Amino acid sequence: MRCHTCARPANVEIRRSRIAFCAGCYPHWFRARVQERIDHDRMFRRDERVLVAVSGGKDSLALWHALTRLGYRADGVYIRLGIGGYSRRSQEKCERFAEWHGLMLHQVDLEGSEGFVVPDLREARSGKPCAACGTVKRYHFNRVAAELGYDVVATGHNLDDEAATLFGNLVHWNIDYLGRQGPVLESTHPGLVRKVKPLYRLSERETAAYALIERIDYILEECPMAKGAKSLAYKAMLNSLEEQQPGAKYGFLVGFLKQGRAALPGTGFEPAAELRACARCGQPTTAEVCAYCRMADRGRRRRERARPPAGVDPT
Amino acid sequence: MGVMRVTILPEREVREVQARTVADLLLELGLHRDAHLVVRRDEILTGDVRLAETDEVEIYPVISGGGR
Ligand code: SF4
Ligand SMILES: [Zn+2]
Ligand SMILES: [Zn+2]
Repeated sequence: MRCHTCARPANVEIRRSRIAFCAGCYPHWFRARVQERIDHDRMFRRDERVLVAVSGGKDSLALWHALTRLGYRADGVYIRLGIGGYSRRSQEKCERFAEWHGLMLHQVDLEGSEGFVVPDLREARSGKPCAACGTVKRYHFNRVAAELGYDVVATGHNLDDEAATLFGNLVHWNIDYLGRQGPVLESTHPGLVRKVKPLYRLSERETAAYALIERIDYILEECPMAKGAKSLAYKAMLNSLEEQQPGAKYGFLVGFLKQGRAALPGTGFEPAAELRACARCGQPTTAEVCAYCRMADRGRRRRERARPPAGVDPT
Repeated sequence: MGVMRVTILPEREVREVQARTVADLLLELGLHRDAHLVVRRDEILTGDVRLAETDEVEIYPVISGGGR
């Protein structure tokens, strides 16, 4: 196979488009796709400040790298989730990346500032904290962006993530979520910052290839809580289909965004008039106390119970 | 066609397989093409590349899980 741009031997093939690129030309193609999405979907302008939510994984670091190379003013934010050695190693990857590229990285330390860690939020039934972990991340990404005056939060969600989410929402017919799924979540309140996913049309394999070629040192290991996640089963199913029909994942997601979503009631971007400030933290919510604050209380109570009694504690 | 040794990351599990090309290799191991990158001497390989017994090949899984 030959490179589509320079005809040298290719390294990365894009099966859905029947083209391939050499390692020298591939990053240019990748960044051009990112730029195209930012412009076409009106994600942000050159004069806006972008906050990239980073986890230490390939997608978020590839996104931060690409935005920086494209000339955007993009800082990072990392949340210390407190998931043992995995969290320590992923934090180190983010810090090293920021240092190497001379970028600003904000951090939120759950244990230190909130008094709980993600494993405290395990559900009794599934034993997994993932749903709560998602709430924690969304809350703090938004809070940090709003407090520090960023115009937009960018996350590293890729084509495989988005297609798997769509598939899951269809399997369970979550009509409410379906109407809101998309690459841009507009701000509906001054305290809610716009959310964008510039990698949503690039596959997971394509972001990994970008990270490898650009020598981005990302964390290869998975979060230990991800084991057995439904999203992994959906991704495997979609990749089985992709094997037989290159482009199936892309067509599934992009077709939905172009045609399917319009047929659903409400896109969720109507101004949220009934939002008010959480009595505890001040973030926008529909309740008296926001979902995050109530969840954080549960986390702290769990942590309290797990702690050894006073007098035994060596500190 | 002889047997070649491949290393699968992140655990660096070593497997022995017979494969003529990169695409064959993944098929032989039962791995999805869109879920892996095959790397030889720091270079990513396309599916059509022919492999030799002496090649040192690494396979990078690219799929991350969990809710994000
Ligand atoms: S796998 Fe679950 S617990 Fe781990 S980072 Fe992802 S959402 Fe959080
Ligand atoms: Zn080229
Ligand atoms: Zn609150």
